[in-house]
Amino acid sequence: MDELIDEAGRPRPVAGELMALLDRLGPDELRDRQRATDLEILTMGITFTVYSDGENIDRAWPFDIIPRLIPGDEWAQVEIGLAQRLRALNHFIDDVYNEQRIVEAGIFPRVLLDDSANYRPECRGVSPKFGVWAHISGTDLVRDADGQFYVLEDNLRVPSGVSYVLENRAVAKRTFPELFERQPIRPVDGYTDELNKLLTSLAPDGRTDAHIAVLTPGIFNSAYFEHSFLAQRMGAELVEGADLVVGDDECVYMKTIQGRERVDVIYRRIDDLFLDPEVFRADSTLGVPGLMRAWKAGNVGIANAPGAGVADDKCVYAWVPEMVRFYLGEEPLINNVPTYRCMYDDERAYVLDHLDELVLKPANESGGYGIVIGNRATAAELERAAADVREDPRNWVAQPILDLSTAPTLVEGGLEPRHLDLRPFVLTGERSYVTAGGLTRVALVKGSLVVNSSQGGGSKDTWIINSAPAAGSPARSDTQTGSQSQTQSAGVGG
Amino acid sequence: MVLLSRVADRIYWGARYIERAEDTARVLRAFGEVFADYPRSATVRWSSLVAVAGSDVELPPTDGSDEIPVVKFLISDREHQNSVVISVERCRENLRTCREVLPRPAWAAVNDLSMYVQTHASAAAGRFQRGQFLNRVIDDSRRLDGVLTSSMSRDEAFDLWRIGRYLERTDMTTRVLGVRAATLLSLPPGAADEFAEVRWMSVLSSLSALQMYQRATKGPIDGPGVVRFLLFDYRFPRSVAGCLTELRASVLRLPRHDSVLGVIDDTDRELRSCRPAADDGAALDDAMDRLQRALLRIGDAMHDRYFMV
Repeated sequence: MDELIDEAGRPRPVAGELMALLDRLGPDELRDRQRATDLEILTMGITFTVYSDGENIDRAWPFDIIPRLIPGDEWAQVEIGLAQRLRALNHFIDDVYNEQRIVEAGIFPRVLLDDSANYRPECRGVSPKFGVWAHISGTDLVRDADGQFYVLEDNLRVPSGVSYVLENRAVAKRTFPELFERQPIRPVDGYTDELNKLLTSLAPDGRTDAHIAVLTPGIFNSAYFEHSFLAQRMGAELVEGADLVVGDDECVYMKTIQGRERVDVIYRRIDDLFLDPEVFRADSTLGVPGLMRAWKAGNVGIANAPGAGVADDKCVYAWVPEMVRFYLGEEPLINNVPTYRCMYDDERAYVLDHLDELVLKPANESGGYGIVIGNRATAAELERAAADVREDPRNWVAQPILDLSTAPTLVEGGLEPRHLDLRPFVLTGERSYVTAGGLTRVALVKGSLVVNSSQGGGSKDTWIINSAPAAGSPARSDTQTGSQSQTQSAGVGG
Repeated sequence: MVLLSRVADRIYWGARYIERAEDTARVLRAFGEVFADYPRSATVRWSSLVAVAGSDVELPPTDGSDEIPVVKFLISDREHQNSVVISVERCRENLRTCREVLPRPAWAAVNDLSMYVQTHASAAAGRFQRGQFLNRVIDDSRRLDGVLTSSMSRDEAFDLWRIGRYLERTDMTTRVLGVRAATLLSLPPGAADEFAEVRWMSVLSSLSALQMYQRATKGPIDGPGVVRFLLFDYRFPRSVAGCLTELRASVLRLPRHDSVLGVIDDTDRELRSCRPAADDGAALDDAMDRLQRALLRIGDAMHDRYFMV
């Protein structure tokens, strides 16, 4: 299905204004606006870093000016579903590091914890504030031919992309000012404020005026732009591991020109395994020795909590609907893609029989790497995939090949449909917050389903459009005093 | 307001590098302008600019004018650590890692300049495009200061920026005095050519000081007067005294500044001892060497106090 155009080729109701404008402007004007936008992105330094031939290249963020539109009432349902899903996932993480009720109840197999690459025994017995571990998630959604949204992945470790949601909007406002004037498009700017509130709430009890630090691996990380962006928007410090030190009092300090200053909350954007060389990888120079001690002692909040990745696993994913029922006693309000777990003999047998109709995914890879799309793979690739599945069944799941929705995208020949997905960001603490829309990623290559920016994907601004336009905006006050002018002196103009 | 030592270091160096690029551009621009007033027969040695830029590299000798190799060396040579291209690039690299502290348009200004410099530097050797190029570097460097001055809180980060700027600027003023002014003063009285005034004007305009000098002195351009103006007229923002005054004001606002302040006091004493050197080329050269060493000590003191914790 297409997000903006119906089966008869007419604009869907939500896209009426947009499509009319695109028609009116015509392809040449659109290309002009695209060029102006590209230049602006370059000048504003909105970039992401890619590795190529052993070099780090700072590339301009790829952005398609044609927005992707979603009706507000439909989005409201997605928001509720996502908030519910993240509550359940957080219950699960808290449970597996503490009582393991879901294992005792025979719902979740213990073997999955035992050989999970993301389960951290070092986190056993820890109880973070509000019982929340995955504070920030970037959940990947797709829409299938039936028009339903499905959750494709829960990204609970260090999901990135939210800065581009805000930047895309800033750019889109300048590209199509006409549309922002006429339509109630939900703003996205509130995210950083919500994030700031959430992080502040994670400060150890009794700490006022919390110091928040965003912990980055540094300038060579592909998401460095975002780390810097978020720190800037929150007025937080952007720190690298070497800027922090854990004192004898098991508190975390940053090295400042004043001397040492206590840090209360760390929004970490580095992987678990690099966080603390005392506990995890001893060769990590990105982390802070003693950080885990400080966290366990309750002297610093860490988001996302170490170990949260245990629920971010393409295999664990298959149990999320069960989690919702088990922990919340509710039915899931947003769908999982049906998932075959190769660890079970019957499901594996089905997968091996139907490889050419399935997408095969390794459990612990991200960025779209290692995925085999059955109907596009060669016979040799399928054979290799089958061998991989037999060798390490636990590491593989399979899903039906979805017919990802498309949206009109500006390409050389004008507007053409391209496949896309959507990554909303969900904040979970004492309460939940879901971004209005999220990051729409689009596969710029015709027919391609790969949307990752590291592999030639682009992005679009996502507009959640509330159906009823606001009735009559309040009139501007006309009691303002005019600007002061220079007093005309005798010598001028006389 | 908290300021990380690492970020402090990068803001300070970002400021130094952009000032370095701007100052090199000013010197080149002034030299090119004054050159136009010379008759064809007069020899103009561009190589003295290499020393002004703080480099002791011997450029390969050329037949005829050394203009193009010197200009290339100062603008686009990627091997030359103080070239405009490298300075702008380093400024960008430093500020790239402290974007969260600076107002956003500041990053856009640096980024913009950096893209411009990368694409236009190699074409800037020729005279016409060179003028445009140098103006752009100077204007964008000013634009950056404008953004910060008008939209950045007067916090420690802002003072570190100012300290970087003024330290680098003082350094350039002492170099122009130590190399070019010292050479002019050393000419035997009779040998002072008919272009002496033009040459002194070029010294002033390399520091954008010509107009302010004329306003301040209301008199003819004479060598010792120029030297005294550039050393001691604290009202002029590129004079050594002026820069040191601004530097001190910013250091005073930083925490734990005693050690740095001590070195600035030493530098002030060094500056006062330069007074007799205004009439004597060799003495001026020595005095500027001493001042430059004092400035290096300020940089070291900043490093020890604030950047390595």
